[in-house]
Amino acid sequence: MSWADRLRDVYVDGVDDSTDPVAVDVPADRWVQAVTAARDTLGCTWFDWLSAVDEGEAGFRVVCHLVARRRGGVDHLVVRTLLPRERPAVASVAGVFAGARWHERETHEMFGIDVTEDGEVLDLERLLLPAEFEGHPLRKDFVLASRVVRTWPGAKEPGESESTPVVKRSRRPARPPGVPDPEEWGPRE
Amino acid sequence: MSELPPRSRGVIALIEENCTSCMLCARECPAWCVHIDSHQETVPAGPGGGRDRTRNVLDRFAIDYALCMYCSICIEVCPFEALHWSPELATPESDLRELTHEKDRLRSWMWTVPPPPALDEHAEQAKEVVAAERAEQRARR
Repeated sequence: MSWADRLRDVYVDGVDDSTDPVAVDVPADRWVQAVTAARDTLGCTWFDWLSAVDEGEAGFRVVCHLVARRRGGVDHLVVRTLLPRERPAVASVAGVFAGARWHERETHEMFGIDVTEDGEVLDLERLLLPAEFEGHPLRKDFVLASRVVRTWPGAKEPGESESTPVVKRSRRPARPPGVPDPEEWGPRE
Repeated sequence: MSELPPRSRGVIALIEENCTSCMLCARECPAWCVHIDSHQETVPAGPGGGRDRTRNVLDRFAIDYALCMYCSICIEVCPFEALHWSPELATPESDLRELTHEKDRLRSWMWTVPPPPALDEHAEQAKEVVAAERAEQRARR
């Protein structure tokens, strides 16, 4: 029986074997059960990492990579669940893999995803960001402030330099990708 | 010391003669590490008449290796093949400012750029080779 078939036996729906490693999408309210099943029924006793992907309008996808060690090799499994964009919250799997607590702290800091245990949102200790940091850096809508204030080397036209500004611009000056319009974001006088 | 694979990315080299200051590499670089200054010069019309032409002259071309992430986008986007990969590693420096390599240093990396790896034996021949062979056949006739 192939690895993907064994996954289908356990998870029934949501197995996606078009990716390498094979992934399974589970509903958010069955997150802890899905990870427990991977550990107990499928032999995925090795927890690699847990993180999230900001999928824009669709929400946040929490992703967890687990490995089953066998004689002669390993089998990889990626367990995923989709959370809504507003007030995203995922149940903690630190009860299944103690090492997951570190990764949940990082995901909470970087994406603003709440981690719950028995329905209660955990107050997780600050991990990587400094105390005064505002915002969630790995969200796609987080503006890189340093790029807003720094001059973009690509803003110059061909034939332009600090000392010889171009007399006539042939087109509207291009703005670098990812930097918002100064009208909507930036220092105010 | 093991052989480095072909097309290893060590450091970027520049052929200043090929660069037209089109600014494509500076615009596309995701790390904003390519700094280009240029000015325009007029080339007067030849004795046969016609109009004066303007051309861009490169003043400054610098790559800040403290920011470069070796993504290769600048080399891929350059329409004039002015940028090339060299497998040499950028020397470690004790001052961060020394990690910005200027035009002359980028040219010196060109001497370490290996020839491109040979095409797979079943691949189409390069256009230059086909054109050269045809020209030779025409000349023989």
